[in-house]
Amino acid sequence: MIPSGAARRTRLQHSLVLLLPAVLFGLLVSVQWRTQTFRSELSVRYNAPLIDAANALQKEQATLKTQLAELRGRLDEIQRNASTQSGAARELQARVDDLRERAGLTPRAGDGVVVQLDDARNASLAARDIEKSICHATDLTDILNTAWRGGADAIAVNDERIVSSSSVYCVGSTIMVNGTLMSPPFSVAVIGPQNALLGAFDDPQQLSDIKQRRDVQGLGFRVTRATQIHVPGYTGALNIRYAEPRSLPTATR
Amino acid sequence: MRRDAGAISTAVVALFLGVLAVTQFRSQDVYSRSLQLETPASLTTVIANLSDRNNELRNEIFDLRRDLVNAQESVASGRGSLSDAERQLRQFKVFSADSAVAGPGISIRIDGDFDERALSDLVNELRNAGAEAIAINDVRVGPRSYFVGTLDRAVAVDGRAVRGPWTVRAIGSPEVVYVAMTRTGGIIGQFELIYRNTRFAVSKDTTLNIPELASGSR
Repeated sequence: MIPSGAARRTRLQHSLVLLLPAVLFGLLVSVQWRTQTFRSELSVRYNAPLIDAANALQKEQATLKTQLAELRGRLDEIQRNASTQSGAARELQARVDDLRERAGLTPRAGDGVVVQLDDARNASLAARDIEKSICHATDLTDILNTAWRGGADAIAVNDERIVSSSSVYCVGSTIMVNGTLMSPPFSVAVIGPQNALLGAFDDPQQLSDIKQRRDVQGLGFRVTRATQIHVPGYTGALNIRYAEPRSLPTATR
Repeated sequence: MRRDAGAISTAVVALFLGVLAVTQFRSQDVYSRSLQLETPASLTTVIANLSDRNNELRNEIFDLRRDLVNAQESVASGRGSLSDAERQLRQFKVFSADSAVAGPGISIRIDGDFDERALSDLVNELRNAGAEAIAINDVRVGPRSYFVGTLDRAVAVDGRAVRGPWTVRAIGSPEVVYVAMTRTGGIIGQFELIYRNTRFAVSKDTTLNIPELASGSR
């Protein structure tokens, strides 16, 4: 039986409906395959040993930090015991304790705010928006700047205490804080006056770029009040090799 | 019947397609934040950075072990451990920006348009290069320092206005900090592209004097 004109049209429509998804499917499969091939060629030759080396160094860093913290603790204990012997030693120890706390070497606890920063988890983003939808090192430095402006007393990013030598460093899409590898989500724990801190983060003049990317690209950015936040002490090296205090070290200023 | 079969196969293809598209996006999302996606050049930089940090930690562990032995000997001999505590005090004075300091380093003179975010980025970069003490004009940058723009196009550090032309001074290894600032693709090169009418001059100094942190900034 020869199909009627209407039946032929219906069959053609069905075929066309399947054609588009089939083409797209083929495209995606080939893109996926090409990406995998490209990635594996490079990674097999160079990346795999380099990633192993980076991970090994990061692990070693954690061990070295633990050793350093133990040594600082033991030295502190000896000096604390010795400081009971004379008035000068006692004053000197009090001064060291005060500066150690101000420099961020001792842990702190108190009320404040917690800032959450994360890459957008929106799967429907266009490729051109990817750059705006992920967090960058400059976002973290802007958040730290706003927190200090709001009167922060102590800050830690993913448990790395922010001190006078702290830097947020970006290589490719990898972020390092205090020389430690980090990846999102970032949790910025800020101890300080809650209302002043919230006021600084809510100020429309502050972090306007981050807020716009949160609203448009779905970047994760949230500031919440928090009580009894724990901020660890800095565990890295002081690395003072070139700067010398101009005033003589004395027990009293 | 034929129509049902067509609809079912279309639905199956569409579903599979949807799953694949989402998987593609999710895998990009995960890869973008793992070391797997980094180029060998970026990974080499990450390794160099980690290596530097670990060497700093090793040096400090070496110094502290020596201090510990000295302190134990001093206490055992009844002399107390004042000298070790004084060495620590000197380090903490520098680290907390509590004291005026002197030492070699670099100066960066910035003449022209500039702003608080760029200044904050510059300080971040100097810290990453190992700067031990930093001042902008005569204002010491401390552990809690922040930067804001002012209405008259000046920049305020901890609420204190500093006006251009700015001189940013940093104590540290002159060679290391100088190269970190001026290398191809480094922060000064980037600034020169962004602030086209601003002049940036970087120089090494044998002795820099940097003031202590202002009392209100502590």
